[in-house]
Amino acid sequence: MSIPMSRTRRSWMNALSLVICLIHILPFYILLTTSFKADDDLSSKWNFPGYLYLDNFADAWREANLASAFKSNLIVTVCAVFLIVVVGSIAAYPLSRRQTRWNKFIYALFVSALIVPALTILVPLYKFMVDIGGMNRYWGIVLLHVTFNLPTTIFLYTGFISTIPRELDEAAMIDGAGRLSLFYRILLPLLKPITATVIILSGVAVWNDYTFSVFFLQHVDTRTITVALSAFFTQFSSNIGWVAAGSLLAALPMIVVYLFLQRYFIEGLASGAVKG
Amino acid sequence: MRNQGLKVLTMLLLTALVLMGCSQRSGTGGQAQPSESSATPSASAAPSQTDSPSPSKPDAGSGEKIKLTVYSTIGELKNQEMMKSIGDAFTKENPNISVEFQFPGAEYENILKVKMAANDLPDVFDTHGWAVIRYGNYLADLRDEAWAPNLTDTIKPVVTDKEGKVEALVLSEAKDGISYNAEILERYGIQPPTTFDELMAAADKIKTESKGQVTPFFMSGIDNGMIGGFLDLYSTSMYISPQQNQASKLLDGTFDWNNWTPLASKLLDMQKKGYINKDALTAKYTDLPKRFAQGKVAFVFGAPSFADEVYKTNPDAKIGIMPLTTMVEGDAPTFSGGERYTMGAWKDGKHLAEAKKLIAFFAKPENMTTIANATKLPPGLKDIPSQHEFASYYEQFKDIRVFPYFDRVYLPNGMWDVMCKTGTSLVSGQTTPAQFADKMKQEYERLRKQQA
Amino acid sequence: MSETKPSIRRTRAAAGRRAARRDAWVNLMYVPALLLFLVFIFYPFLRGIQISFTNWDGYNQHYNWIGLENYSRIFRDPDMGKIVRNTAVYGIGSAVLQNLIGLLYALFLSQSIRTRGLVRTVIYLPVIISGLIMGYIWYFFFQYDGGAINDILLLFANEPANLLGNPNANVWIITFVNTYQYLGIAMVLFLAGLQSIPRDYYEAATIDGAGVWTRFARVTWPLLAPAFTVSMVLNLTGGLKLFEVIVAMTNSGPGYASASMSSFMYLLYFGREDAGYAATVGILMFVLISIVSLVALVWLRRREVQT
Repeated sequence: MSIPMSRTRRSWMNALSLVICLIHILPFYILLTTSFKADDDLSSKWNFPGYLYLDNFADAWREANLASAFKSNLIVTVCAVFLIVVVGSIAAYPLSRRQTRWNKFIYALFVSALIVPALTILVPLYKFMVDIGGMNRYWGIVLLHVTFNLPTTIFLYTGFISTIPRELDEAAMIDGAGRLSLFYRILLPLLKPITATVIILSGVAVWNDYTFSVFFLQHVDTRTITVALSAFFTQFSSNIGWVAAGSLLAALPMIVVYLFLQRYFIEGLASGAVKG
Repeated sequence: MRNQGLKVLTMLLLTALVLMGCSQRSGTGGQAQPSESSATPSASAAPSQTDSPSPSKPDAGSGEKIKLTVYSTIGELKNQEMMKSIGDAFTKENPNISVEFQFPGAEYENILKVKMAANDLPDVFDTHGWAVIRYGNYLADLRDEAWAPNLTDTIKPVVTDKEGKVEALVLSEAKDGISYNAEILERYGIQPPTTFDELMAAADKIKTESKGQVTPFFMSGIDNGMIGGFLDLYSTSMYISPQQNQASKLLDGTFDWNNWTPLASKLLDMQKKGYINKDALTAKYTDLPKRFAQGKVAFVFGAPSFADEVYKTNPDAKIGIMPLTTMVEGDAPTFSGGERYTMGAWKDGKHLAEAKKLIAFFAKPENMTTIANATKLPPGLKDIPSQHEFASYYEQFKDIRVFPYFDRVYLPNGMWDVMCKTGTSLVSGQTTPAQFADKMKQEYERLRKQQA
Repeated sequence: MSETKPSIRRTRAAAGRRAARRDAWVNLMYVPALLLFLVFIFYPFLRGIQISFTNWDGYNQHYNWIGLENYSRIFRDPDMGKIVRNTAVYGIGSAVLQNLIGLLYALFLSQSIRTRGLVRTVIYLPVIISGLIMGYIWYFFFQYDGGAINDILLLFANEPANLLGNPNANVWIITFVNTYQYLGIAMVLFLAGLQSIPRDYYEAATIDGAGVWTRFARVTWPLLAPAFTVSMVLNLTGGLKLFEVIVAMTNSGPGYASASMSSFMYLLYFGREDAGYAATVGILMFVLISIVSLVALVWLRRREVQT
């Protein structure tokens, strides 16, 4: 609803937007000043150090063993997100196109899983994981992440697919395409924006996960970033420079991915989540 | 738009590529499993296999590589390296056994609990004060090991159960009293106090004469073990160590919990008089070393496990230790203690023999000395020489009585957390000493009934 | 979810029914998802319910069945009232704040401002950071000793404030942090909602002589209803399950003063070795969240239909 604005009003708006930006960037500012500050620099957290000091980053990287943590995170997140997209999108197709009473029930079942508290199911889950030999294996935790991200994913895909006209399906079916090939050839390409949304939402959830990772990937070599950092925090939280630098390093990849997919993200939400 | 689409496509391609790599990796790992779990009940799957991310051969026959997994509570990086180097020395002697250490840090207890629930323990693990009560059912009997007779007289009863089963090798004992900043005490002309009243007088003197620059005591409410630790230590001097004591009443459940109120009041008094750091509720344990190094803290209840962190900021800091002051007239000072770092073997472990061999290796005098010097704690075996700044203190106080931690013996499992949480709540002013006593009574009775 | 017009729908329904049986195999497409769900959520959840009828300590192989004892304990637990209240503040408080501020931001950013891309990114940024890390960052602010807020406060006062140690303030501080962190989700949903409102609606309203406020009340607000529903439900379930920020900032303390049901459950499970009771609290939490989100959903969806 862009209505022509007067020049003064526009500059007020710009000023206001900068103020909002400043308020929201504050925590990141503190994070930055802290991470660039030497351990013996006791000046206020508001002061940016007048020198270049990168030891915190190097130390945090080494002491928290972030190199191996990044590797684990990358493997787990990429595998999980890929499967979330595949399993979620194909599951959403029948749920949105064949709305039988049974399928509506299944849909409700999926979405209700959003509410299950992880701790209630932790121990049975752990036992089960030991039994199937999935402990400390990437595939074990990947399957868990896929499962726990399916509710939101199915919710988004189902909403999105129902905004695609059915006439498209019917036209393709007349041409003799089967349901499956129809899904792959016609629908999948149309799902791009919502897929970006799903990638960001589930990617962030998997990347940052703590509750599952700490129990299911205990092994030092398979530890993920959040787990490595939290162990590191409890041990060295007196050295907040390291903590801040570690946090910054952990967040960076997700920030980059978000910046890349940002445009699709909102587009996907616009058509997948907020249309009735 | 086209450009964006390309990006998404490349990302998906990348995804597929990495996925292939990852499924390969997990695939080989997964295949090792079924052959085993079909032979034995699945719950007892060997930890060395389930714990390793890299493909390992399922059968550990002669000449095959064996991997022992060791879980330890050691937190300091330096000491972790020390443990690993002893492990490496062991592998050098036994080339087919490799040792893999895990140091889960703050999550240690939680992870071990979940592991116990699933009956999936490491080959060797640390019992950190819970050898008999919590881990006893899962530990192998080590009484026939060559080192077992050498356990010190103070520690032997702590890690031996009623039937005489020895649960673990004690690498270091805990002797918790009070740690203090020797410089501050010297500056204000204070001798290490022996009674609680003297301690309070010293606190008052430090607080007044330093004009509030020095906080007599440091506590942390976020890591609420510090407030709980104070109560746990002084419970011993109040209810257990005096001649007239409540030990039997606590054990048979007839203890009058109104007796708890005075102890709680003492803690609250300390807080009200400003002897404890103002941010006691929100400070973290890790805030302590820096403040101690800067001379802002005089006394800390418990062992000086923070010493190395202090030296990082102030290499010349002088840390002293002393036994816990008395609480009751006519009583003598005490230490509370138990096993600190230990190595016990999982009784259902697939490599029990090798695990025992590894423990025996750690029990060698030269290794025990290395551990004692690094952890700066008294070793759990007799006649182990050690050389560190606290060694002379432990020598000086070697005749002071050591009591087991109060909660382990006299409180049912689960009370520790109640004591910590309610203690924090007391300091924050949400709970009165009488309410605290009442809460202790309720939970004590409920938990006793539940565990009976 | 019904996007098609009723007339089209009716004609298709007849054809659809014929095709239905022949088409049932399409359901196979959700079988993988269903299998994962049954194995990793449904089955463990049933076991969780089972545990809630025992006095299991969380690790021993032995435990006793104690019937409904844990359930009756919940009602006698003196800490429970406070914890449920906190949970409600975390859930409902942040959901309301997030939606209110998120909506304002979205309206503001839908203007043609040069910097809007930047502002949008900055506001959304915290969402991609782990709750645990976000908690630590804010701990730097509220810390007593050398905290960023106390540094400013000390310019005006003699005494630093122990904000996180104050049992009345810290629940709201945590709510604020949670609001700050997930505000971006509400904002983005509303932005997306605004994008999908056709321009000519506004033009028509302007021709009818509607002012800014009327345009908002007649056009924007009703048409944002679906976005509002989704955002409300997501934020509610997120806030009611709040855990990591609490752990990082106060560890539920002092005492249980800032505990949520999630963090309380964690303490019961691992601290008090009271797994049976922890499971019971988990079930209660599940039921409460279900009720709250269901009521919210039904109410919000009805609002959507009316408008």
